[in-house]
Amino acid sequence: MVLTEKSEMQVMAIEASGVDRAFGGVQALRGASFAARPAEIHALAGENGAGKSTLIKVLCGVITADRGKVEIFGQQVRRVVEPAARRGLGVATAFQELSLIPDLTVAENLLLHSPPRGRLGLVRRGRLVPEAEAILHRYGVDYIDSRLTAAELSVAHRQVVELVRVLATEPRVLILDEPTAALPDKQVEWLSGHMRRLRDAGTCVIFTSHRWREIEALADRVTVMRNGTHVATRENLSEAEAVTLMSGRTFEGTYPDVTTIATGETALRVSDLRGGRLQGVSFSMRQGEILGVGGLAGQGQRDLFLTLFGAQRAAAGNLEVGGFPVTLRRPRDAIRAGLGIAYVPEDRKAEGLFLPLSIRDNIALATLARRSSGGLVSRGREAQAVASLVGQLRIGAGRSTSQAVGNLSGGNQQKVLMARWLLTDAQVLLLFDVTRGVDAATKRDIFDLIAQLAAQGKAILFYSSETEEIAHLCHRVLVLREGRVAVELDGPVRDAERIVAASLKEVPGA
Amino acid sequence: MSTTEIGGPSWRARLRALTPNTRRVLYAWAAAVAVIAIGSLFNPDFATWSSLRVMLVVASFIGFVAAGQMLVVLVGGIDLSIPWVLNGAAIVLTTTSLGQTGRTGLALALALGLGAVIGFANGMGVAWLGVPAVVMTLGMNGVMQGLTLGLSKGLTCASCASYAPKPLREVFVDKVFGVPAQLLLWAGVALLLTVLLTLTTFGRRVYAVGVSPRGAYLSGVSVRGVTVALYTLSGVFAAIAGIALVAYGGQPSLGLGDPYLFESIAAVVVGGVSILGGRGHYVGVVAGSLTLVAVVTFLQAQRVPEYGRSIIYGLVILAILLTYGREKSNA
Repeated sequence: MVLTEKSEMQVMAIEASGVDRAFGGVQALRGASFAARPAEIHALAGENGAGKSTLIKVLCGVITADRGKVEIFGQQVRRVVEPAARRGLGVATAFQELSLIPDLTVAENLLLHSPPRGRLGLVRRGRLVPEAEAILHRYGVDYIDSRLTAAELSVAHRQVVELVRVLATEPRVLILDEPTAALPDKQVEWLSGHMRRLRDAGTCVIFTSHRWREIEALADRVTVMRNGTHVATRENLSEAEAVTLMSGRTFEGTYPDVTTIATGETALRVSDLRGGRLQGVSFSMRQGEILGVGGLAGQGQRDLFLTLFGAQRAAAGNLEVGGFPVTLRRPRDAIRAGLGIAYVPEDRKAEGLFLPLSIRDNIALATLARRSSGGLVSRGREAQAVASLVGQLRIGAGRSTSQAVGNLSGGNQQKVLMARWLLTDAQVLLLFDVTRGVDAATKRDIFDLIAQLAAQGKAILFYSSETEEIAHLCHRVLVLREGRVAVELDGPVRDAERIVAASLKEVPGA
Repeated sequence: MSTTEIGGPSWRARLRALTPNTRRVLYAWAAAVAVIAIGSLFNPDFATWSSLRVMLVVASFIGFVAAGQMLVVLVGGIDLSIPWVLNGAAIVLTTTSLGQTGRTGLALALALGLGAVIGFANGMGVAWLGVPAVVMTLGMNGVMQGLTLGLSKGLTCASCASYAPKPLREVFVDKVFGVPAQLLLWAGVALLLTVLLTLTTFGRRVYAVGVSPRGAYLSGVSVRGVTVALYTLSGVFAAIAGIALVAYGGQPSLGLGDPYLFESIAAVVVGGVSILGGRGHYVGVVAGSLTLVAVVTFLQAQRVPEYGRSIIYGLVILAILLTYGREKSNA
């Protein structure tokens, strides 16, 4: 790269050099360096566990580095731990783990740091909603009701509020960790617009994403990380090059072949299922089939998965598993029902994994009773069962299974969760957005695994926030609209646009 | 890890490689040893076997109540009904046995049954009715206090002057191979709880519920069942402590259980159990109980007046907890 005199002289907006940081026994960053200029959009790419999130936390001051330094506009920041102090320097960050307070309203969350105050310095509650609405309006997201609590919002809307809160500080350095992982395409466009606007106004915008087309469309420069260190910073980088840099491996074709049509017995039959947002859903799926569930966000996909797993009560409707009618009152019923049903959730930290517990405990939890007698767990049989899955799914690169799951990278955590449910030997798998926030290489592993499981005769219901994945991976796709199956497409659809088009039809105002 | 270190990993690195649970147990024992070591600097007799034996016996009473307290704390709960469940069980034991050897079995069953019933009620209130644990158990403590005072007419009833039956008292005075029988009972409790929590399906579920109730529910764990079982056990352990106290002292008194609320919580926390649930082992709680008793014994030996003891006691516990808090959290 040719450095002009200007860029040599230019002060970096934010710069980290020689940063080390360890968690427990895991070295997340080793001598990592990173620099971003003012007025650029800078993407940070890397597989899960490459150290992106840790680097971001060091940059914005949530955690301190074990070694190394961070400079903001040429000014070195010393052991400051409070993100608030960095806000004073014009650094604002939106995190991957949503930082909204669930029980506060959108308005209270938005104005948490600078609430409208009266003469005595007391918060003027009456001004909260109008001010919050003004902010939401300024950022073009009037569709969010500022009086709802954060917990009442969908994951996508929560992410939007989180982003608005950060954007509204009009920062000089804006850091976004996986901002689009939970966003549907429409909101991704919205966010892109704001990122470009801020860049043009001189802000340094740093973001991470697992979706290459976003990086390609948005980033002026890309920094690739691997194993906690800086690998390369480039202005032009093709996807193939990036994947090679990120993984040190090369990939051919991202999706496994799913052209063979499943002809197994009917594994699951659902008729007129209602409850939550479901307004009467009927379908059936065969053994060996990967059935995709598409549609816009919030059309009842989540309710469908939770109801089929017994975690949410059905208001009406019938369910047959393996030809026998079943009633599911709680997840335990689903795990035991006929062929067995398993549910792998999107929010693996809140709904799936037990971060302080070991890999072994996490994998064994759903099937404890099968390897015990008189209530005592047989440690030998357990170690054997866990080891075979750890090997099969290549979890954690030879790490001991007594390690806490919290020390693993996101991709490995997702595999641990998959392993738990594979151990149940369930024949019906409900996979709800299991590739969210997972790196390209692990995604490929998970797709292969899904195809392999289908080939073994398992029936798989698959939802993803990335329509692309549904289009390529599924034998058949149900498009949900307003709690009903609106369209059924034979797959593999390949062209995600067809699913999107089917999702939009007849929805007024979309 | 590809980092090469000269002379093997440092003790810091080794400490960091342990699981957080093991590390917390180590810290708890380090605290106990430190307090006893400091005590023997001031008074050479402090760490002799006879002095340690007395401390261990006193610590065992805390150990029993702390066992129950730890179980509910592991799922993020708390049991504030311990004082009067303990006191009630102690009085039930003496008033139903009337000091007669032949009625020992019946009296034991009634006292333990009382603990179980109250604990079960606490569990049902917390798990099924959704009453916050603090409110449920505090209310139950009040109910038990009222019942105990009313039914025993302020401990003036005819049978209230009874002593604990002789076999029980002998168990607690007797020694087996020079070790007080009471300490053997405590060792048994420690073994039982360790096996229960680490080797059984129930124990695994307890930790899962403690870390994430929603995650445990979605993995097919009966979160309510586990919760009710734990509160029931806490009631039983409070009753065991009550039985042990009357067997040791001969007769119950009113307010017998009052000191044990604070001490059970302090022993659990000093023992490295996370008050948020999901982390901790009983082996650490044993060390926590011992630490508390060692601090008090030391202060008494130094002839610190009562009010000074309270102040220092509180400060020492705070100091120990602050040292724990300095540990960087993982994940």
